[in-house]
Amino acid sequence: MVATTNNTVPVTVLTGYLGAGKTTLLNRILTHEHGKKVAVIVNEFGEVGIDNQLVIDADEEIFEMNNGCICCTVRGDLIRIISNLMKRRHKFDHLVIETTGLADPAPVIQTFFVDEDMKDKIALDAVVTVVDAKHIQQHWDADEAQEQIAFADVILLNKTDLVSPEELADLESKIQGMNKMAKIYRTQNSELSMDALLGVQAFDLDRALEIDPEFLNEDAHEHDETVKSFAIVESGELDGQKLNNWLSNLLQTKGVDIFRMKGILNIAGEDERFVFQGVHMLLDGKPDRPWKKGETRKNELVFIGRNLDEAQLREDFKQCLV
Amino acid sequence: MFGVGTKGKVLFQQQWQGSLSEYVTAVAWSPDGLLAASSAAGEVVLWQDGNLLNLLPAGLASIDCLAFSADGKFLAAGGQNGQVRVWEVLSNNLVEDRANLIVTLDNAAKWIDKLSWHPTCNQLAFSLGRYVQIWDANIQTVITTLPFANSSVLDLAWQPNGTNIAIAGDGGIKVWSTQDWDDDPYLIEMPSASIVTAWSGDSKYIASGNLDNTITVLEYGSSHPWVMRGFPGKISNLTWSQPLLNNTPLLAASSVEGIAVWKKAVKDEDGWNANILTVHDGRIKALEFHPRSLLLASAADDGWLVLWTTAKQVGQILEGARDGFACLAWDQEGKQLAAGGQDGELIIWSESKRGKGFG
Repeated sequence: MVATTNNTVPVTVLTGYLGAGKTTLLNRILTHEHGKKVAVIVNEFGEVGIDNQLVIDADEEIFEMNNGCICCTVRGDLIRIISNLMKRRHKFDHLVIETTGLADPAPVIQTFFVDEDMKDKIALDAVVTVVDAKHIQQHWDADEAQEQIAFADVILLNKTDLVSPEELADLESKIQGMNKMAKIYRTQNSELSMDALLGVQAFDLDRALEIDPEFLNEDAHEHDETVKSFAIVESGELDGQKLNNWLSNLLQTKGVDIFRMKGILNIAGEDERFVFQGVHMLLDGKPDRPWKKGETRKNELVFIGRNLDEAQLREDFKQCLV
Repeated sequence: MFGVGTKGKVLFQQQWQGSLSEYVTAVAWSPDGLLAASSAAGEVVLWQDGNLLNLLPAGLASIDCLAFSADGKFLAAGGQNGQVRVWEVLSNNLVEDRANLIVTLDNAAKWIDKLSWHPTCNQLAFSLGRYVQIWDANIQTVITTLPFANSSVLDLAWQPNGTNIAIAGDGGIKVWSTQDWDDDPYLIEMPSASIVTAWSGDSKYIASGNLDNTITVLEYGSSHPWVMRGFPGKISNLTWSQPLLNNTPLLAASSVEGIAVWKKAVKDEDGWNANILTVHDGRIKALEFHPRSLLLASAADDGWLVLWTTAKQVGQILEGARDGFACLAWDQEGKQLAAGGQDGELIIWSESKRGKGFG
């Protein structure tokens, strides 16, 4: 088998409450004729029995993550499993990691940010969250339900046939308030085109911020949720040193509450855009393409988090301008 | 970089090369010079004097670990289909008649990542998710199941004197006494996960390579471990040397592309001092001290197998794995060295007559 030129494997992290339709989606991914060989890491809690059956029928490989609770043990186990899988790198093109219904997806995502082996071998593709349009109402109070939405790049608002159009519209608007970066699809039976699921490249800094312009222009809504997202758009140049101090202080003090952040920055004295993304206190950034002639140089940042003081963050950011 | 006078020196020369169909996951020597190797395609082979015998053909699931018992009478292998297979090794001349499968232990969907034989009696320890099972070859039955509990078992190691077995995972290492399996294990607590562990040959020290880029070394029985920091990544390999003149062995550890060789100061309170060995241009996949000297072998993604004279300077660089090396093993006397490659290469080198006097 010929090795691919880019040797990193894209990884999709699949989250969602029990019963939301994760397993159905997983089975779609495994049985769909998309020409990709998909390896799956599933959790031992949940609906594994059914998965195994179907997966074997689909002639795909399935791997079990021997870890029920998502906590600090995840990293060691995930690295162990993926290192083992990577010995048969040519056997699959895409990796899907299914987390438990009650899981905070952060430890899984962070593993790909911090581990030196994983960083080289694995490219996070997207966090996909399946939301049960009917039963999510019962779970709003759970931190996990909110975090799964907050971390998502792709959200399947599933089982839309079980709720009224008004309820659905309310729900979608509520989810948007929590996470404006995610693409939301209304689905039944987790039916969604594979292009919208696999190969999304949501974590690719080169395509970092395809933030929806409408979102950036949107007026701030009043949300009663503790988890919310908002954007900061400022023209002008940033003082690199001030920015650095602000960011490092912010991550130290508020890292726990910042689920995800992304940004394009215009730093004084630099010809290139600076792009970055973060998960909790981990930050990954680099200079991107040069600003184009005639392009308006500006700064765009998106925050998703819990109990974030939006006004304060805006003010602090302005202080970093030259 | 290359020590004066050592460049071009031939310590070991290639004796044989063959191949398996995929990534060679493990190599192991028996005390009487048989080599076993396994692959990610699920193969297990035996090698003797240039002849190769297929014990298991390529299948669906990877074989990830294998080991000969201390007396060389048994060979065990485990992998991703959850089976542990044990062969009896027979004392025939022809490789074709040297092994006889005596048992297959089925363990459903669990991967068997690690297995190891007791240093004197024929008891086999193997990882099974969050547990370790001990199988006794004499009575051919599982005699105990040790619950590590915190996480999956990431590594296991018998104390060379046979008194204890150390099991590594999240939260540190748990040490069970082989005298009483039902006794509570002794816990060597760590703030992150222990991913690799090794006892010194004299059974005195236990080292743990950790996920938070540190190494913990404990003189077993003491409650004050040394902690070594400053590594660029998690610790991938640990190996102890033969004892030096002062009776303390060297400890070598790899992290990403670098190797640190630690030597204990005379006084306990002065700790351990490191010497850093850099020549590799790829992640180090295997690191093992020669069984009789201070010659250190490191094999890496860069396709180099480096022999470090006295664990200090490059003595010789061996090649032959196009996509990088995956594993290596010294035979019991240290006269032969075997390595497996990521593209299925299986290579054996033997001590060069001209290269006498290393280490």
